[in-house]
Amino acid sequence: MKFLAPLVPLVLLTAISEFLVREGFVRAYLIPAPSDVFRAMIDSRLELAQALLSTSAGSLAGFSMSALTGIAIAVLLSSSRAVQRAFYPYAIFFQTVPLIAVAPLLVIWFGFGIQTVIASAFVASVFPVIANTLSGILSTDPPLRDLFKLYHASPLATLFKLRLPAALPQVFTGLRVSAGLAVIGAIVGEFIAGGGLGSVVEIARTQQRIDKVFAAVLLASLLGLGLFGLINLLSHLMLRRWHASEQPQ
Amino acid sequence: MTTRDNHRMLSHSMQRRAFLKTAPALALFAACTKSTRLKLALNWKPEPEFGGFYAAAYSKHGLTLDILPGGTGTPTVQMVGAGSVDFGIVSADEIILARSHGNDVVALFAVFQDSPTGIMAHASRHLTSIGDVLKDGTLALESGLPFARLLKRKFGFSHVKIVPSPGGDITSFLHDEKFAQQCYLTSEPIAARRQGAAVKVFAVSEIGYDPYTTVLAVSGESLRKNPVRAQAMVTAVREGWQSYLDNPKAVNQQMHQLNPTMDLDTFAQVAEVQKPFIETDATRRNGLGTMSVQRWETLIAQFKELGDISQTIPAQECFRLL
Amino acid sequence: MHPSRVTSTSRGVALQLEGVRRVFDNNRVVIAGMDLQIDPGEFLAVLGPSGCGKSTLLRMIARLSEPDSGHIRMQPDGEPFQTAFVFQDAHLLPWRDVLSNAALPLELMGEAKLTRQEKARAVLGQVGLLEALDRYPAELSGGMRMRVSLARALITEPRLLLLDEPFAALDEITRFHLDVQLRELWQGRGMTVIFVTHSVSEAAFLANRAVVLGGKGAAIQLDRRLELPAVRNNELRGDPRLGQEMRLLLGAIEE
Repeated sequence: MKFLAPLVPLVLLTAISEFLVREGFVRAYLIPAPSDVFRAMIDSRLELAQALLSTSAGSLAGFSMSALTGIAIAVLLSSSRAVQRAFYPYAIFFQTVPLIAVAPLLVIWFGFGIQTVIASAFVASVFPVIANTLSGILSTDPPLRDLFKLYHASPLATLFKLRLPAALPQVFTGLRVSAGLAVIGAIVGEFIAGGGLGSVVEIARTQQRIDKVFAAVLLASLLGLGLFGLINLLSHLMLRRWHASEQPQ
Repeated sequence: MTTRDNHRMLSHSMQRRAFLKTAPALALFAACTKSTRLKLALNWKPEPEFGGFYAAAYSKHGLTLDILPGGTGTPTVQMVGAGSVDFGIVSADEIILARSHGNDVVALFAVFQDSPTGIMAHASRHLTSIGDVLKDGTLALESGLPFARLLKRKFGFSHVKIVPSPGGDITSFLHDEKFAQQCYLTSEPIAARRQGAAVKVFAVSEIGYDPYTTVLAVSGESLRKNPVRAQAMVTAVREGWQSYLDNPKAVNQQMHQLNPTMDLDTFAQVAEVQKPFIETDATRRNGLGTMSVQRWETLIAQFKELGDISQTIPAQECFRLL
Repeated sequence: MHPSRVTSTSRGVALQLEGVRRVFDNNRVVIAGMDLQIDPGEFLAVLGPSGCGKSTLLRMIARLSEPDSGHIRMQPDGEPFQTAFVFQDAHLLPWRDVLSNAALPLELMGEAKLTRQEKARAVLGQVGLLEALDRYPAELSGGMRMRVSLARALITEPRLLLLDEPFAALDEITRFHLDVQLRELWQGRGMTVIFVTHSVSEAAFLANRAVVLGGKGAAIQLDRRLELPAVRNNELRGDPRLGQEMRLLLGAIEE
């Protein structure tokens, strides 16, 4: 039953918007009727499928880079207070620079193609991984750190046997946020460098095909949702035996 | 006399009569509606292509108008149709597409009689016609636009790499000799030459595609409800353009304040280069901003052939000469 | 060194604290020049009100922090991993099962997996947890978690076992069980035990010597050899002698 609950608002919204557009309360060129969006999806299914594949590849690649690089950077930052103070502000900078402004630069550096899409996805999604992983590593229980100190554990052993596993729940929090951002980043990259769903949106927009724009946007959202679901699955598999977030209430 | 001359004379006398009829109404209008702030949405940043709009003395015609600059992707044709702005700048091809989707937008004044859209390539490639650009290298286009699809149909894209248009930015062009891009003939080539590049330009009208550009549009509903206001607007705009063509300096200064990314020298150069697009034989006969039903019919037929519209739409409904 | 009546085979260390002083950042003198001698194999309870410096003292003995002046000497010394620590909460690694948690100290010392798991099984057997080897801490009760923590502490066969109010968060029945179990484990191995608590009854039940700290700088208010039998079991709970010792200790605290 609980799986049906989220579907109720969706069905309601679809029915209401279909009614509003069909009866002329809202003009079709401003918001397309759900049936038009659906038809656009069917009509352009090959093009959309290919675009979805391309954007998926770009976002997944960018996201994977963010995950690995972000965790690595967080580990480096956690090694000393001085390193943290020196470099953390730059990590924040990554977060605050508007992607739309940076994307044209990425094209100049990496050229037109999926490499820029991946770079864009990376820039958009790396910071939450860094911030959350760092927070997780730094908030390791002091008594556990004492325990490792007592048995003369090397800093590396402490990192891999204590601090990283302890940080895992927060790492997943960061990954969850990062997943959606990677998709957005990929699409922005595609606006500038071409290809994928971003390109479909851009072209359909210039053709005033709002129904197709919505179809592409919907697929992009589903992609983000899919990635999010994947992270949740991974989180469940890795944390279910031991973390409160995965335990039954 | 040819039917064309007849047409011309008729349209002249019609215009005169129309003006005489509306003159008292205009005065009344001026008195009553001075308080309504109207909005004109541009589809790009303030640049010489909008000079006449900034030059126009709207208050003299009883109008208070705010000009809203735009940028990449500003949906002016939707904004006009939805009523969020009173007037907008669009292109003729946008109007045709919009009307076919049920968006009742009407053209009132065509600044550019000929489309300044073109393709800019490096002179070192020694290309001779627009088709040559598609033989190799990279071409940045807005692939959704009708002229892009016409190009594809005519020449095919199998030998060239198509990438999205950088929207006025020429950095990629300057860095790569084999990079060509869609441009406004009055804009990017000038900027490129200033950076020391030797460029060769091709007008899109070479392939027979020539929509009116920088067109002042209004919603059909607004036009029906308030024809006097529309008339006042067109008159003001026509005078503004005449004034700008005669002397663009002051207005260029004003626009440069609003858009510092273009320097005053470029403003002057572009204002000069764009003149032949704005002042043509047709405008010398019928006044600035004029449009003809034949040009609209040709464009509509091209759209039908491209498959962008499923049925022909009546050309007369697309525009109104005031 | 004290001549002493130690009630088990002495495998423990002797400790000498001389003039141990610890000051915190806000110039608060937590421990002001403490002198204390602890014999090998002694079961010492350290009592005192909250915040009087008991935990600080324990951490310095464990060499997790340094005194600002004074010395803490251990005999014998130099043998690595001879000190074990049991915290107030079990502090197990939640992502590892019981067996792996107990084996952790040996793992950190680099011992091979098979041998350390064998030893872990042995010591977990001693605390009665053989049925729970593959369970995770989240699935255990508080008392069971504490027993794993104890097993973990004992796996390296330490000469010095330090406990910082380990049973404070547990219910009374579990506490009683664990008290008896701890005493038995000590008797079997003979290490020196320092047990910090603010429970007078627990101190009296477990230890053969009690030190009461209090006042400014954790001064020793009382240092007493408890006059109680060597075998401590639940019957002792009702014994008047226990009550007597408790009164003495309580009196020292209340001063």
